[in-house]
Amino acid sequence: MENISFGKRPKNPLHKRVWRDLLRDWKRYLMIFAMLVVTIGFVSGMYVGNKSMMTSLDGNAAKFHRENGHFELSRIAEPEVIAAIETGSKADMVTVFRERAYEDAELEIEDAVREAVEEKVREQVEAAITEQVTAAVDEQIKAAGKKLPDDMRQEMLDKALKTAMDENYEKAVRDALKKAWDSEEYKDALAEATDKAHEEIDKEIDKEYSKLEERYELDQPLDAVPVNVYELFYKNADEHFIGHDEYEGKIRVYGERNEVDLYDLLSGRAPENEREIIIDRMHADNVGIKIGDMVRADGAEFEVVGLASFTDYITLYESNTDTIFDALTFNVGMTTDAGFERISTALHANYAFTYVNPPADLFEEKTLSDHFLKALITQVAVAEKEPEIKDYVPAYANHAITFAEEDLGSDVAMCGVILYVLTAVLAFIFAVNISSTLEKEASSIGTLRASGFTKGELLRYYMSVPLLVVILAAIIGNALGYTVCKDIAVGMYYQSYSLPTYETLWTPEAFLRTTIVPFLLMLLINFIVIVRMLRLSPLKFLRHDLKKTRRKKAVRLPRWSFFRRFRLRVFLQNIPNYLMLFIGISFVMLLLSLVVGLPSTLSYYQETMPDMMFAKEQVILTDYKDEDGEIIRTGTDGAEPFSMNALEYRTEKFSEEISIYGIAENSRYVKLGEQKNADEMWISTAFASKYHLNTGDSFTMHEKYENKKYEWKIAGVYDYDAALSVFMPNDRFNEVFERDADAFTGYLSDQTITDINEKQIVKRITSEDMMKIAKQLDHSFGNYIIYFQYICMIIAAIILYLLTKIIIEKNERPIAMVKILGYEDGEIARLYLLTTAVVVIITELIAMAIGFYAMKLMWEIMLQELGGYFAFIMKPEGFVREFVLVTAAYLLITVCDYIRIRKIPKVLALKNAE
Amino acid sequence: MSEAERKFLEVHGLKKSFGSGDTKQDVLRGLDFTVSKGEFCVLLGPSGSGKSTLLNILGGIDGADEGRILINGDKLEDMNEKSLTRYRRKHLGYVFQSYNLIPNLNVKENIETGAYLSDSPLDIDELLKILGLFEHRYKLPNQLSGGQQQRVSIGRAIVKNPDILLCDEPTGALDYTTSKEILQLIEEVNQKYGNTIIMVTHNEAIKRMADHVIKLRDGKIRHDDRNTEKITAAELEW
Repeated sequence: MENISFGKRPKNPLHKRVWRDLLRDWKRYLMIFAMLVVTIGFVSGMYVGNKSMMTSLDGNAAKFHRENGHFELSRIAEPEVIAAIETGSKADMVTVFRERAYEDAELEIEDAVREAVEEKVREQVEAAITEQVTAAVDEQIKAAGKKLPDDMRQEMLDKALKTAMDENYEKAVRDALKKAWDSEEYKDALAEATDKAHEEIDKEIDKEYSKLEERYELDQPLDAVPVNVYELFYKNADEHFIGHDEYEGKIRVYGERNEVDLYDLLSGRAPENEREIIIDRMHADNVGIKIGDMVRADGAEFEVVGLASFTDYITLYESNTDTIFDALTFNVGMTTDAGFERISTALHANYAFTYVNPPADLFEEKTLSDHFLKALITQVAVAEKEPEIKDYVPAYANHAITFAEEDLGSDVAMCGVILYVLTAVLAFIFAVNISSTLEKEASSIGTLRASGFTKGELLRYYMSVPLLVVILAAIIGNALGYTVCKDIAVGMYYQSYSLPTYETLWTPEAFLRTTIVPFLLMLLINFIVIVRMLRLSPLKFLRHDLKKTRRKKAVRLPRWSFFRRFRLRVFLQNIPNYLMLFIGISFVMLLLSLVVGLPSTLSYYQETMPDMMFAKEQVILTDYKDEDGEIIRTGTDGAEPFSMNALEYRTEKFSEEISIYGIAENSRYVKLGEQKNADEMWISTAFASKYHLNTGDSFTMHEKYENKKYEWKIAGVYDYDAALSVFMPNDRFNEVFERDADAFTGYLSDQTITDINEKQIVKRITSEDMMKIAKQLDHSFGNYIIYFQYICMIIAAIILYLLTKIIIEKNERPIAMVKILGYEDGEIARLYLLTTAVVVIITELIAMAIGFYAMKLMWEIMLQELGGYFAFIMKPEGFVREFVLVTAAYLLITVCDYIRIRKIPKVLALKNAE
Repeated sequence: MSEAERKFLEVHGLKKSFGSGDTKQDVLRGLDFTVSKGEFCVLLGPSGSGKSTLLNILGGIDGADEGRILINGDKLEDMNEKSLTRYRRKHLGYVFQSYNLIPNLNVKENIETGAYLSDSPLDIDELLKILGLFEHRYKLPNQLSGGQQQRVSIGRAIVKNPDILLCDEPTGALDYTTSKEILQLIEEVNQKYGNTIIMVTHNEAIKRMADHVIKLRDGKIRHDDRNTEKITAAELEW
């Protein structure tokens, strides 16, 4: 043997191959990389924007001294009432009411006893005078020695009696009474009567209080919840912007806010005089108002000098019972106290409160709120002038405060799910691709394994590309997440909510969720697929025998034409790819169901809402009688009285307000069937759909602030999709809610009611009000939705590209061979592309149905939290649009595939497999 | 030559069958032979005689049903999958009829995949020169002729200086001239590096250049001969 020279052990040359693999298949990896970058970037942007915004919102509570809740009274309360409320302790209603009743009864008792005594004294005096006069007259007759006939005697007696009574009776009564008042007997009688009366009062108060106790659950021990109460009065007014004549809306104007619920001035300055106002920035953006514009609030004109985010109106909910916020026609403003006086509409005695000892968590906050509400009820009840509580909203349940935060949270969760699903789809595509590569490189792998390469070394090599792609995508995606995408996410939030200013924060969660989780997903899915394949022996690789179980014979096919059987073989050969294609298309269809279905649903509601309303107008009156006690009537043709109330329907997780309607007998607007049982009610289709209730089911409604519930049975489901409602005859309504037999709340009418004084009208509900939700959602998402549709199309195209590429690559040699046999490109395309086309179309149809039903389910879950209900409607043209978008993506890819088939050289069939 | 070197590879009672029941086919029916260290051993036989199966079992990528294999004293049947991999890594080199090169690694890098597996590989540049591939070292496999590709494949196997070089029909896909070149190369490698070479072939002519010829038919050894007079690869004719 000659002398042998030894060299150094080189680095693993497979490492060099990783980069070459990337370059060799750059189009495929670029697609996956781009998809991951966009998704990771967008989701990271959402997380960063979200976290920054959430931190800003959390900080806001302290920074802007946000309320812990507010309550509205029917009128301004006296300082001593507010002071009592601030103690947060339950008033001793029994003692107060008893003392008040005793006090009220005291005079009455004395009067009654005096009356009784006087009557008795008068009787006694009259008897005494009569006795004395009779005796004197009889003595006089006897002294005269004559016997007078009876009538003359009587005449003489009457005359004497009259004289005596006239002269002495009143004086004698006075003297007697004077004595009687001082007598022990009188005092005893008075004491006895007082005791008896107190006994009656006690009995009555105990009876009434136990009712109240049960109703408001006052019998449980309550901890005092001391609070600070702040006047936060407001006035609601019609809003007009000068120069924006077409706009009609409402504005809620507050006086100066110095102590509680402060605001973040986003531009301009605070009002300095009675003619200046600051308004909500979001609303101003929506309506197109700028600083310097003039706003008219019910006649009073103000100059807009600042745009702000009010800490208690992060989301513009006009009422906490509204299904959704309304940043289009509802505005909040703040002027100086003098400016506030200029607005002539009714003042709402609204009070904000903050806990002296702030709660540590939400659970404690709820407990504090429950206790404080009871304290409030009792303190208001014992107040001298007994104001009524019109509204009570703790901050944790105030949608205007919490909705944005909750929505921000759910958006992020949703984006996270989309990222993971998309990453999983891409990871599976990678896995299918790797599996196809392993098949293609089976001989090399077999040789490497036979030469001594371990499974671990090959596993690491084949895992490198997917992991490298996901790491690079995560780096670039996160960089975009902190810059461009964060701005987009924040921009979207600013378009929906009146958010304060924020600072971009480093968000570990964004990194974790957009880098670590996709990395792990990619690692796990690819690991499983590669390890499964590498378990095969080197010999199997060398023999290209990579199926764990091999059929002894090919699947027998029906006696179809050669082309059809060929295509079926292509299908059977590529089942794993088609399965991935099915999952990918289903995912795209689910996204499309949202982005096509949402505008479809909104436009359906906007179009059909006027027809859905059972009357064009629901006019709610302040009372059914006017100041003179006369029933308020209207001469409007077809108008009929109805009643309306709201009760809560509670599930384990949510409670929601449901409108309760009392409908006139033989109503022309709501045609209910015959009520067989007093506790049988009709519910609207919206209510039935949302809570899956059916005819014959029992359901329970609760009074919101009282411990009172109503158990009813469903007599039928009334076709009304516009709102969650319960219907019953008006007579029954009055019985249920213990109202006068002839009472009603307002009128239903198809004509505008003009003959009722506007002061007697609380509000008119029209289809416009019902459409607020659709309009607001349309505004919040409308601009973006069309982009999302095209993004879905691009995702579909990429998924199709990646999977059809694998199918064609797998069949490159057979394709080259059939070319040699003399098949033309068109025929080959029909053999290979038509199979995929059929699979894509069938997949699209199935995935469309899956996407639709999955979206319906998600929609229901979303509305559970949102409150209210409107069904998810996909118009037929929506399905067509979905189909067209994905098919268009497929056609585009088919052109690429056709070109790819044409480019396959015939010589490939004759070459070495590698 | 010591006893250990003389019995560098020992095969005793080796049996292997495929399938079961009626379809059971006995491929190896009890083989016994030894191969000395540095010997050039040719396994001859018609298709289906079991020579490739024997080679795969010797290479630890297939298992026997019965029998024992000792290589340099190590029992192959006692090795688990991990040990077998290590054994292949340290002691074996493989050359296949269909080269099995990695398409996107160039000539030198393909050889490096073999070198990477050894703690003391041969000098790659020197080897490239011996293989006649030095000027082609940066070419990709698809830029090479079949003979050149097979040279790369031999280079990849030999670079880790294996104790045994297993060649499965290395000239099966090559023309006469190229086949002779490859055989010359294997001969040169055997002489220069002293590896034990076991080559499967159905080309009867090749036996003349071998030290040791084992002829198989129907899974049995029909002849087990050692050439007293062998010729060089260059002298081969067929």
